[in-house]
Amino acid sequence: MNEKWRLLITKDRTAYNNMAIDWAVLKASSNGEVQPTVRFYTWKPSAISIGYFQSLDEEIDLNKCKKHGVDYVRRITGGGAVYHEHELTYSIVIPENHPQISKNIMESYGCICGAVIKGLSQLGIESKYAPINDIIVNGKKISGNAQTRKSKTVLQHGTVLIDVNVEKMFSLLKVPNEKIRDKMISDVKQRLISIKHLLGKDVSFDEVANTMKKGFEEEFNIELVEGSLTEKEIEDAEIFEKEYFSSKEWNHKK
Amino acid sequence: MNLRSVYKIPDGKLLKISLDYNERNNSIESINITGDFFAHPEEAIEILEDKLKDARFDRLFLRNKIDSIIKENNLELIGLNVEGLTHGIMLCKP
Repeated sequence: MNEKWRLLITKDRTAYNNMAIDWAVLKASSNGEVQPTVRFYTWKPSAISIGYFQSLDEEIDLNKCKKHGVDYVRRITGGGAVYHEHELTYSIVIPENHPQISKNIMESYGCICGAVIKGLSQLGIESKYAPINDIIVNGKKISGNAQTRKSKTVLQHGTVLIDVNVEKMFSLLKVPNEKIRDKMISDVKQRLISIKHLLGKDVSFDEVANTMKKGFEEEFNIELVEGSLTEKEIEDAEIFEKEYFSSKEWNHKK
Repeated sequence: MNLRSVYKIPDGKLLKISLDYNERNNSIESINITGDFFAHPEEAIEILEDKLKDARFDRLFLRNKIDSIIKENNLELIGLNVEGLTHGIMLCKP
């Protein structure tokens, strides 16, 4: 019989809450309180997350974000700035010593990205892993991924672009030189692709979540059983949200 | 004097360095290492920044110092490496 892992679907959470939940699940997993967990989620309001090592002030036009009602948050994972709007975000939390997870970080990226790739193939989209942390279709990025390991536990989260609005994304990000903004937008348009663009139709979050569920089940040879956050995870997420992700000190750390 | 550099690591990520340079001693007063790279554990970059305070602004010295800090702290860099980090810092030099 296949091992059962927990599936969480949490739609329309704030950036602060989403990042706090990922950390709370990591903590619960490292304490042996929960099974390996896969979560699919969305962001409301839309938000920009920056990598742990990035500087908010250097990457994001904070006034534009405020004007457009877009939140911003620093992740506990490295990597780059991401505008979260029309996408499915996933996270997976699993003990580092689980037999399905490689000790080697790059190998584990490949394996977890394999689940997303299998999910996309359920939609009829052929994609491949492009190290370090991307999944591409015909050379264009459809998914970005970031991993951290804390307390002997792996957390990887990543995006799957359902649709993309490069102009809006760039209106919120700082560019080194305004004169090259248009050139950068056209370059990024050449480098990003979404499910909507590939299939030529709107695809719902639920549909993508369903295919990603199958992708994770197939890749890890497990059964994902929908569950909910434990009371302890909800409590911890509230603490992490307040003390870290919604705080100026955390977000402006660099 | 505040000095900055932006350096794309070959086959890696974008590294941005901001540092306060002490001209009198040719040393780094403080340094901020940012970018879209990965480092495990993440906190070790803060240790690196801390241990580079007052370091001599010299390529070989910095390379060896960064290398030893990384080894001491079991720091795994992804999209960044010792050579790239050293080069990014040296690009700041006036």
